[in-house]
Amino acid sequence: MAPSTQDVLSVLSTIQDPDLGRDVVSLGMIKELDVDAAGKVSFTFELTTPACPVRDRFKTQAEDLVSQLPGVSAVEVRMTANVRPAFMRPKPSDVLPGVKQTIAVASGKGGVGKSTVAVNLAAALRLSGASVGLLDADIYGPSVPAMTGSRSVPEQVNGQLKPIEAHGLKLMSFGHIYPGDQPTIYRGPMVGKAIEAMMVQVDWGRLDYLVIDLPPGTGDASLTLAQAVPLTGVAIVCTPQDVATDIAVKALQMFRKLNVTPLGLIENMSWYVCPSCGHRHEIFSHGGAEAAATRLGVPFLGAIPLEEDIRKDADSGIPVVISRPDSAGAKAFVEIASQVAARTSIQSFRQLPVISVR
Amino acid sequence: MEIEWEGGHRSSYTGERLRWSCPCAECRGEAGAPGRLARLTTLSPDELRIENVALVGQYALQIAFASGHSTGLYTFALLRGMCDCPECREGKPA
Repeated sequence: MAPSTQDVLSVLSTIQDPDLGRDVVSLGMIKELDVDAAGKVSFTFELTTPACPVRDRFKTQAEDLVSQLPGVSAVEVRMTANVRPAFMRPKPSDVLPGVKQTIAVASGKGGVGKSTVAVNLAAALRLSGASVGLLDADIYGPSVPAMTGSRSVPEQVNGQLKPIEAHGLKLMSFGHIYPGDQPTIYRGPMVGKAIEAMMVQVDWGRLDYLVIDLPPGTGDASLTLAQAVPLTGVAIVCTPQDVATDIAVKALQMFRKLNVTPLGLIENMSWYVCPSCGHRHEIFSHGGAEAAATRLGVPFLGAIPLEEDIRKDADSGIPVVISRPDSAGAKAFVEIASQVAARTSIQSFRQLPVISVR
Repeated sequence: MEIEWEGGHRSSYTGERLRWSCPCAECRGEAGAPGRLARLTTLSPDELRIENVALVGQYALQIAFASGHSTGLYTFALLRGMCDCPECREGKPA
């Protein structure tokens, strides 16, 4: 005799989501469950992100558990994903209403590869199947146009700017708005206004993830962003040497003060493999970010090697995860993107304080 | 004003208490200079009535009073620490 849907749900509820710390049935991930008279069981397994790091494990676990039930003749598991909005709240935020998750990429210190990480993180999330935007909040030194090979000027429609499309991503940068070699000479408050404008006056539409590439520093840009939108979290990039991790820690502590969840630390330029001799060099030391993450009690999201190809591809405008998916650098970015996505999903189940005025 | 916190705890505040706790530079003073609240002993009813509350990112509330005063950003940490319920008062050192 075929099992009941309750029997199926009961075995599936033994699968725990490692990041969310609850079973997949109570998280509402099992949908369209059907058991036919011949004992064929089919259901949809809806993940909270297409970049889920345990996607394959979940599928195998689900198939194995259900097929062991007495009376089951076949199991069909359809894996899908639906990114849920950050935080459980009654209505979407007024700013960026169509964006489900906003992920800031920050470092405190300049020159550690923040934009390279942001571009590849966005591209890797896009490759996993999510809809992704990338906002370049570096008003003085916008790098996103060059790194994505998009140098067109945004069109204006109904008073709103249309994001630039490249590599399947929606992009917006001050480098698009003011192309060429003219500098942006702004005092602090203008930087805040410019970043607000890029959120409010750009037609971002519906996005699963909006990645925000922040400038260095712990001042106007970061503060404006943390005040204007309920950020899902912030990923901090640093290089391994003390002089970089010390500043990264300051950036992390700033976001903690602003109640923005640190998604974790990423170590860039972590090692270098010499193409002629194959020897591994640790030019900027190694493991500094992981040690800092442990010290601060935040996740370590992964390490990215120093590779000439990452730089070449950034200069030619194609993210390395797209141009050389088999390289060590690209694999590191994809792994980090799925870690970021997993940490981001946790925020979907958080209830922010509810305020009522009488 | 009432807040239900992430853990389910509820705190309640009067407009008067919030107004006298305003953390803005004008009220608190800055760079060693005393602020407006240090010089005053009474505030008009308009100063004490909450007109609007806006969320600032996810770390603070901007409270606008009927008088138009709205420069104070009340961080959640400040508000949580201000909770005056018997349970929280007991936990605090006297």
